[in-house]
Amino acid sequence: MNRLRNDLLISAPGLLLLVFGFLIPVAGILVLGVRDADGAWTSAHLVRFLTDPFYLGIGWRTIKLSLLITAICVVAGVPLAYIMARGGPRLRLWLIVCITLPLMTSVVVRTFGWMVVLGRGGLVPHALNMLGLANRNYTLMHTETAIVAGMVQVLFPFMVLSILGVVQRIDSRLEEAARVMGCSLVQSLRLVVLPLAVPGIVAGSLLVFTLSASYFITPNLLGGSRLPVLASSIYETATKTLDWQFAAAQSIILLIGVLMLLIPQAKMTRRTHG
Amino acid sequence: MKKIVRAAAMTALLAATSSAFAQGTTLVVNSWGGAYEKLHKQLVFEPFEKVNNVKIKVVTLYSADTLAQLRAQKANPQYDVVHFSGGQEVIAAREGLLAPIKPEELSNGKDLYPFATEGMARGEGPVHLVTAVGLLYNEKKVPRAPTSWKDLWDTAYGEHLVLTDLSNSFGLLGFLMMNQVWGGTIENTKPGLNKVGELLNRSVIINSSPEVQQNFAQNDAWLAPFAQDYAYVIRKSGQPVKFVMAKEGVPAVYFTANLVANRPHQALAKKLIDFELSPEVQAAFAREMRYSPTNTKTQLPSDVAGEVVYGDAVRSLVRFDPVAIDKVRNGLIEDWKKLIAK
Repeated sequence: MNRLRNDLLISAPGLLLLVFGFLIPVAGILVLGVRDADGAWTSAHLVRFLTDPFYLGIGWRTIKLSLLITAICVVAGVPLAYIMARGGPRLRLWLIVCITLPLMTSVVVRTFGWMVVLGRGGLVPHALNMLGLANRNYTLMHTETAIVAGMVQVLFPFMVLSILGVVQRIDSRLEEAARVMGCSLVQSLRLVVLPLAVPGIVAGSLLVFTLSASYFITPNLLGGSRLPVLASSIYETATKTLDWQFAAAQSIILLIGVLMLLIPQAKMTRRTHG
Repeated sequence: MKKIVRAAAMTALLAATSSAFAQGTTLVVNSWGGAYEKLHKQLVFEPFEKVNNVKIKVVTLYSADTLAQLRAQKANPQYDVVHFSGGQEVIAAREGLLAPIKPEELSNGKDLYPFATEGMARGEGPVHLVTAVGLLYNEKKVPRAPTSWKDLWDTAYGEHLVLTDLSNSFGLLGFLMMNQVWGGTIENTKPGLNKVGELLNRSVIINSSPEVQQNFAQNDAWLAPFAQDYAYVIRKSGQPVKFVMAKEGVPAVYFTANLVANRPHQALAKKLIDFELSPEVQAAFAREMRYSPTNTKTQLPSDVAGEVVYGDAVRSLVRFDPVAIDKVRNGLIEDWKKLIAK
């Protein structure tokens, strides 16, 4: 009991900041979603979201795009993290710089860069035109492809750095032992490195998924108003139609959706860490 | 030595804090970014700061977002003067967020057109600028110049249309006009939604004013329903864009300057609003961005007067009742979002 009291005392400043600066304000907003204009408890707003195919479509688009973004980040991030971990210190340093340098630029500026690259006459449509795959007026702006491209660039460093930390701690002698036992390179990666890297992959995926589900700047700018995602819908409901109760209800649904992912993740990592 | 250092530090600290106190008052206002905000600062805020020895902090925020913030800050407002372009002053006045002004309290109040002071009885601020919503077109690329709202549905304009989202004031008023042209009213927006739905595959939908300029410059846009002020800006930037008032009617956009309730410095804020209503400021706005003045004493050179809605012509503009719009706004925006979602 003494241990617990000491732990609590030491973490008190952080906990108090968390409670007063985060939990209480967020709880206040979420409570708005289950109350009507007079303050009585109601599930009308949640029901409105869940029974309207338009909003369910928005939710589905958000999940679909977030899953796609996470999958692309995993597939591209695992090999890169492995190379960074096993390469020499100089290679690792340069690759870390390359990965984290975009993080230093504002996300809005990076998104504008994508608008130039993907818009009419931009780099990508021009290249497609040269290859004969698209006509002169082709544009990738305001498509789901543009949203995925922009979001992958923004969230990729989070995935790579999460996996890098875990892979670096895998003892390289385990791989050497596997090779000595007769595994090819690919087999040793598949049978030894990948299972041990799972906690990092899971942590990175969770980070990327939750961030991409709650982003609204990049999908708003690259997807336009015809491809709304849940976060942009919340923003528009709160600021354009001033329907705070419904915006809070949408936030509750987003929060529950993301929390539903946390539970399997907590269970998975608890097993590997014993 | 130590004493001298300590004394010097105390003096410096005192000087720093006392200069912060002697700073003078700061007024917080909003403006809408882009070319308009630049002009707003140049013609209104900077001269006012110099003459009255006050600091003005300008927050870039569209009208709808400004109303959302005022609502959130009701217990402790952070703005002194807010500008609205989409009729939000009606809602803000009704919710008690604005302090009413009487026309007699403004030195320019008696010189304003009646429509500019009509809302003040309801607690809204005066109208300080007016712009018209019509059709912008690229005169070099269009097969023939448009004259009517129904020309938007003419397939001769191909896939080169630009429509504005209803969250933007210009988009909302343009839509209500198109709705009216096809037989709808503010309460019945189905005709408008159906007909605009036919245009979706041929158009790009934008959310903000600078995007119109970008679409004409880079995206091969030929025709866009938008406002007269940005038509002038786009033409000045080198694009061959002309503005035409469509024959079925020209909706008016009223820019209001409103006093926020429960703030100190109400007299100073009223002076700022009064300054925006003065003939010289209004003439400058008309010259720079073709805004129509609301002060009857404004003098405009003849070439500018021909390009703004001047004098009695303002009465011929279509004015959608902001109270009626406010009742249907939320439902309409939701219907619109469902219409345009892919």
